[in-house]
Amino acid sequence: MSAETERIRITEYLDLDLRKETWICNRCERVLGPARENYKKGCLVYDRDPREIHQPLVSAAFNFSPDPVWVRIVECYCPGCGTQIETEYLPPGHPFTHDIELDLDGLKERLRKGEYVIRNRRLEAAE
Amino acid sequence: MPIPTLAEKLEWLKPAPPTEYEQQCAAKIPQGDYEIGVQITNDILDESMEVFVRASRSYFGVSGDSMVAIFTANGDLINGACGTYLHAIIQPIIIKFIKKYYAENPGIRDGDIWYTNDALYGGIHNPDQVAIMPVFYKGQLLAWTTAALHTTETGATEPGGMPVSAKSRFEEGLNLPPIKIGENFEIKNDFLEMYCAYGMRAPAMFVSDLRARCTTADRARVRVLELAEKRGPEFVVGLLRKMSDTAEAGARKKIRALPDGVFRAITFNDAMGWTPALVRSCFLTVTKRGERLVFDFHGTSPETPSSYNVHPQAVVGHVANFMYEYMFHDLPISSSTFAPIDFIFPEGSLVYPGKTAATSCCVYIGMQARNATQSAFAKMVFSNGALWHQVAAPPGSQHTSQICAGVSQWNLSVSDVLSFMLNTMGQGGRAGDDGMDSYGFAWCAFGRAPDSEQVESELPITITLSQHWKDSSGPGLHRGGSGATQHWVVHKVPGCVSMCMGNGSKVPLGQPLFGGYASSPIPGISIRQADLLKEMAEGDPNLTLDFRSIVEKGSIHGQWSYELIARGPKPYAEGDVLFGFSGGGPGYGDPLERDPALVLEDLRKQIISDWTAQNIYRIAYDPERRKLDAEKTKEQRDQERRARLARGKPYAEFEKAWSAQKPPEEILQWYGSWPDARPLGPVVR
Repeated sequence: MSAETERIRITEYLDLDLRKETWICNRCERVLGPARENYKKGCLVYDRDPREIHQPLVSAAFNFSPDPVWVRIVECYCPGCGTQIETEYLPPGHPFTHDIELDLDGLKERLRKGEYVIRNRRLEAAE
Repeated sequence: MPIPTLAEKLEWLKPAPPTEYEQQCAAKIPQGDYEIGVQITNDILDESMEVFVRASRSYFGVSGDSMVAIFTANGDLINGACGTYLHAIIQPIIIKFIKKYYAENPGIRDGDIWYTNDALYGGIHNPDQVAIMPVFYKGQLLAWTTAALHTTETGATEPGGMPVSAKSRFEEGLNLPPIKIGENFEIKNDFLEMYCAYGMRAPAMFVSDLRARCTTADRARVRVLELAEKRGPEFVVGLLRKMSDTAEAGARKKIRALPDGVFRAITFNDAMGWTPALVRSCFLTVTKRGERLVFDFHGTSPETPSSYNVHPQAVVGHVANFMYEYMFHDLPISSSTFAPIDFIFPEGSLVYPGKTAATSCCVYIGMQARNATQSAFAKMVFSNGALWHQVAAPPGSQHTSQICAGVSQWNLSVSDVLSFMLNTMGQGGRAGDDGMDSYGFAWCAFGRAPDSEQVESELPITITLSQHWKDSSGPGLHRGGSGATQHWVVHKVPGCVSMCMGNGSKVPLGQPLFGGYASSPIPGISIRQADLLKEMAEGDPNLTLDFRSIVEKGSIHGQWSYELIARGPKPYAEGDVLFGFSGGGPGYGDPLERDPALVLEDLRKQIISDWTAQNIYRIAYDPERRKLDAEKTKEQRDQERRARLARGKPYAEFEKAWSAQKPPEEILQWYGSWPDARPLGPVVR
């Protein structure tokens, strides 16, 4: 397989290098870490006060802005290019979501069997 | 009492294996006739929906937020209208319950009209009522038809059918387990009188909607019979079987094409009734293996002594709303599409409460399951070459569910929802495009905002503005669709009573996607003793009807109030103003990647403010002429990316400081243990 046929787009910014089993930022090619781990571990992370994004329109307890005591914006940046790869609105201290756990062995096996092909960095079911 | 168990409900959601007779009938249908037959079922459903919309009186019905569906003789869903998918997918539970327990006494006969609204027995929540009719052809049970609609009254402790203060089902008014309400195609008068006793606050709407459901189910029934008369009963049986098999094959093919793995999504809710309270409203783990999907809701907060709990099948209904809008949009609305999908619900959680739980506001929790499903699927589907364009952030589901009750200008008792806010929510940003502005109702993408003049005639209000709400949607590479705002002024009556259900004043409800931001929360706003009508009557030249100007400048004078969106019933006098909002959709992708030309277009359309253009999208332009400075924009965006690299911390370092934090105890009273949301004690009702 060529390098191109081993790459799969998993999100807008995250590619999977299937042979190396790594997450890659597809904007700058920075390797973020092992694909069997949460990709967020390879990101730079920032705790954002939500009022900096959702501007309060009035000075009242309920003001069109999330309450920063209740919820924060956790921003995950690519350490290579600064692209904002993912955001989560979480209560302060709440664990991050391990949102993607791909079965890499199963994926390789299905590719080997010809159930899928990779075309334009996406999976297509073989007809 | 044969209340269906969770195991029974989940089993009844699955299609029954085909009988030999069904297979024989299906085998006789040639290609061509099958496609025509499928289209005939669509035509039957379209016509029946038209009847339904015209015959309904409540604004849910008038808006088309309703469902007509066709089932096999066994009770499996075969096709549903363009409507509230959540209703159709779970109705097999009710039909199979009737078949199991009532086949002998009172019996199932031609001309029967069955009815229910009880979530414990398989519904969503008790304002959602359904009429069910068996379709007999010369003595043979061929099929069933149903018509379901949310009527905004149940005779509960508060007007509007969704009592926010209810702590148990005993405060929710009418809760009817499946019951035969008519024989020989006629509704029984003794039932009707009992039923009307629950609808005294709005008798015309209450009874009209009941009759509309029965009329609609019967119209679909008659059309199925006409098909049987024209093509023979075996054609109908075979057609329904083949549709079921085809839909299941289609669903399995789609699921099989996705990568295997585990995908998680999480949502939070900020109110349990009128009490501000943080809960983990959905912790969803979707495991995908081959053709099978398992939805596991372990980790969702415990059930509460409020009406914000949801019975498991209603969660499945909300999941179906996403699946049929995005994943299975080209398949029939059919039980068999859910054959490869299994569900696991933790007992004692928000999504599997006890039998006596109040669930009248269940939709605010159920919608979070739908939103979490959409978030999880985005990460499962994006790699697929055929389906990636179906990826989108969840819709803007926070909204003002304002109930208006009292006496109209025509001296009629009324109690209904101001449903403009329901049917103008913003769609979440999509993989290939922005979310649609005011795309529809998160519970029914096909819903239409009702005609304002009809609303003004029937309810004791006048509508002074209806417009998109600037900065309501979530920024992103592809921004969320804009939400809307509408203002209501009590009019032509001395006063009325109003209350509001909902959530999303403190915490945005739908998570954004791939680096976008969520949409803005919504407060509950009212102005008592407002001078708006006086200024309008006097033709004040300085009067503005721009929402942002009104709020930011306080240009309407009176006693302003900013509250939690969920508010109890309160009297409002003529001239008082209430504000309604529908949420914008969350954004998709990094806002710094948004085409500056589109940002300028958003400014021109008044979807975003200059503040957002300059501080979130970081574009530079001449604010007078709206002319882009491309070079400076690039410079500003590069500068912001460098700033991210400077302020972002490595994961391990960040997590160490982050995990030491915890929200204040006073807002965690219903959350469960922190942070894993396990029950801390029993709920006593």
